[in-house]
Amino acid sequence: MDSELTYTDALEVSGLTRAFGVRKALDDVSFTLPKGAFLSIFGPNGAGKTTLVKVLTTLLNPSKGTARVCGMDVVRDAVELRSRIGLISHNPLLYADLTAEENLLFFSHLYGVPDPERRVRDLLVNVELDHRRLDVTRTFSRGMLQRLSIARALLHHPDIIFLDEPYSGLDPHAMDILDELIAQIRGEHTLVMISHDLTKGLELCTHALILADGKVVLQQPKTDIDEGLFRETYRATVGMGVA
Amino acid sequence: MGASSWQQFKAILHKDLVMEMRTREMITSMGMYALLTMVVYQIALAEAGDSFDVRLVMPGLIWVAFIFMSLLGLNRSFVHETDQGCIDALLLAPIDRPVIFFAKFVGNLIFLLVVELLSLPVFSFLFLQGREGIANPVWMLGVVLLGASIGISGVGTLLATMSVNTSGKDIMLTVVFVPLMYPLLRAAVGATFAVVIGGPASVFMFWSWMAWAAGFDVIMLVAAFGLYEFVIGA
Repeated sequence: MDSELTYTDALEVSGLTRAFGVRKALDDVSFTLPKGAFLSIFGPNGAGKTTLVKVLTTLLNPSKGTARVCGMDVVRDAVELRSRIGLISHNPLLYADLTAEENLLFFSHLYGVPDPERRVRDLLVNVELDHRRLDVTRTFSRGMLQRLSIARALLHHPDIIFLDEPYSGLDPHAMDILDELIAQIRGEHTLVMISHDLTKGLELCTHALILADGKVVLQQPKTDIDEGLFRETYRATVGMGVA
Repeated sequence: MGASSWQQFKAILHKDLVMEMRTREMITSMGMYALLTMVVYQIALAEAGDSFDVRLVMPGLIWVAFIFMSLLGLNRSFVHETDQGCIDALLLAPIDRPVIFFAKFVGNLIFLLVVELLSLPVFSFLFLQGREGIANPVWMLGVVLLGASIGISGVGTLLATMSVNTSGKDIMLTVVFVPLMYPLLRAAVGATFAVVIGGPASVFMFWSWMAWAAGFDVIMLVAAFGLYEFVIGA
């Protein structure tokens, strides 16, 4: 694998369509995102946000169009691309009957992480779960699961991290910890976050995108955003009744 | 950085074995089913009398129990993957899909063989006590168990994957699995009959049925290998 693959745009999406039967969850979506940026994706329920992330993370194939992530095609280069992607979802994506350490070691072995024991130990310290490393994750709180989920997503040093509603269901303290962890990783990685929270999403992002009914309604760098107009556009999409 | 397919295979298999040892979900449910089925068989045959040679129906009874017992286990084999969305994390790893199939298949095969091996002495105790034992060497029964279980686990793992996101998956797996298993079930019963009853042509019959079972295993494993990428990504 060429670990020094050069690219300027972390995401290059062109005419992307994904249909489920006759229903188009994504309809001719096109946009780009520069390397190192933080994109917040907003939209009402059923707008196609999660489908977009699933296509960009190679979990779903597009029906039409192309998408390149970190310079690689999501269909043709899927296996290689997966080693450059991290995903933090509202689901923890962790095995409830394995310990925190066993979960991270398992994924380390799938990704071929060098010196996995040391990497796992360092990450558990980083997410403040070292003291619970031998406990099965079934016993973890939602906040602890989310922190461990971040450690899992960072294990293999991905270039780009997708966050699918990562704040969902967290208490304020757990949200603060997640804020700190995101602040730590944002300089080193391109981040793409799905959020329903306009204030939080706009606060964190460098670029913002609104999806509604599978289409891109608005995409702008944060520097160009008129927050009032942006909020109004978002409210209008929620009112489109696509949920 | 980058793991070989062998390392990934070992990691998934090890994870499945650790979780099963911890929860004992598959082995307990399959074991209980096998035990209860044998008790029901014993009640059903209670009035048959001593003149009835239970060995004539024993191969069929064993495989009916094992086929339905395996259904129960296979239905549970993907529960851990769907719980908390783990299947997405697995699919997100840089791993060839057939590696996932083979790791799951071997895990299911081990669990199935463990329960089968534990069930047979109980079966023997309940039905063969005070009667004539099996005619041919016991190792031949081991060959039948292995040959049939490979096919059951292979097809079952593929179908269990297909039914992960299907509503009414228990019914779906049963409806597709049992008809697909017919040729293998026939071979397993035939080979077991040859082992149990014996006779001059029994060794020839045994290997004929085992050749049939082996052919089924090869065809189904190759088909499952080829289809798995499509099935798990669907």
